Amino acid sequence: MVKFFQSSHSYDHDFSTVSLAFFNRYPNPYASHVLAADTIERYVDTDGNLHTTRLILKQGRLPRFVKPFLKHISESWIIEKSVVDPKQMEMETWSSNLEHRYILKVEERTTYRREGAGTWSQNQVSFVSNFAGWGVKDRIEKWSLDRFGENTAKSRQGMAFVMDLLKEKGLMHFQRVQLGHDFK
Amino acid sequence: MNSFAPECTKAKKEYDNCFNNWYSEKFLKGESMENECADLWHEYEDCVKAALAKKGVGKMIDEARKQAPFENGGKLVEEDEKKK
Repeated sequence: MVKFFQSSHSYDHDFSTVSLAFFNRYPNPYASHVLAADTIERYVDTDGNLHTTRLILKQGRLPRFVKPFLKHISESWIIEKSVVDPKQMEMETWSSNLEHRYILKVEERTTYRREGAGTWSQNQVSFVSNFAGWGVKDRIEKWSLDRFGENTAKSRQGMAFVMDLLKEKGLMHFQRVQLGHDFK
Repeated sequence: MNSFAPECTKAKKEYDNCFNNWYSEKFLKGESMENECADLWHEYEDCVKAALAKKGVGKMIDEARKQAPFENGGKLVEEDEKKK
């Protein structure tokens, strides 16, 4: 079973603010289930593009109907890769769950691109499940659709929150807040 | 944001601050390709690597790092390998 969902969005903020907000989007009040984020790899390639790999730890949010099959899961890891092209002012991001991919693999790709004074973005989420028995397939499809709508809205709200903070208060103040305490 | 390993959070935040400044003030402006935060990075990286190993998720991370969503026409390395 494979399900694809796609949506696009225009941000009023410039590419510099949007891409910086992407790297700093946690914590925010719309992502209280995100527990931690770590960078495990970062380099600039020979074309001058910045590559980053991060690990994000979230509180387990698997659908209830697969829980009987996956006992004792309270946390889950997400891997996130991104490439920033500073010349084109374009960023590509990809993320996916690391565990239990045979049951449900969720992959999200987002492109951010400079568009006039703002930034255009498009994201695509795919849900792949090989777990089709016991009538679970339909429920996974329904869950996927609900989850896509909810997540898309929340991640945009989270990005907007961080962007406003960066723009209004400036990077220096933003960092003082981030160093001081995490709002959860 | 905190590191998953509490003992690495201080090093992480110092590195993140350095990165944020470099990214917005230099990298995006085409002024520097050099990683100016190398010292802070190494301190943070060592801490995270040790913590991942201790938690026993090192292998899972190594597998995940092989995935190359932007290369091979977006196909994951693991999927390519299955076909061989």
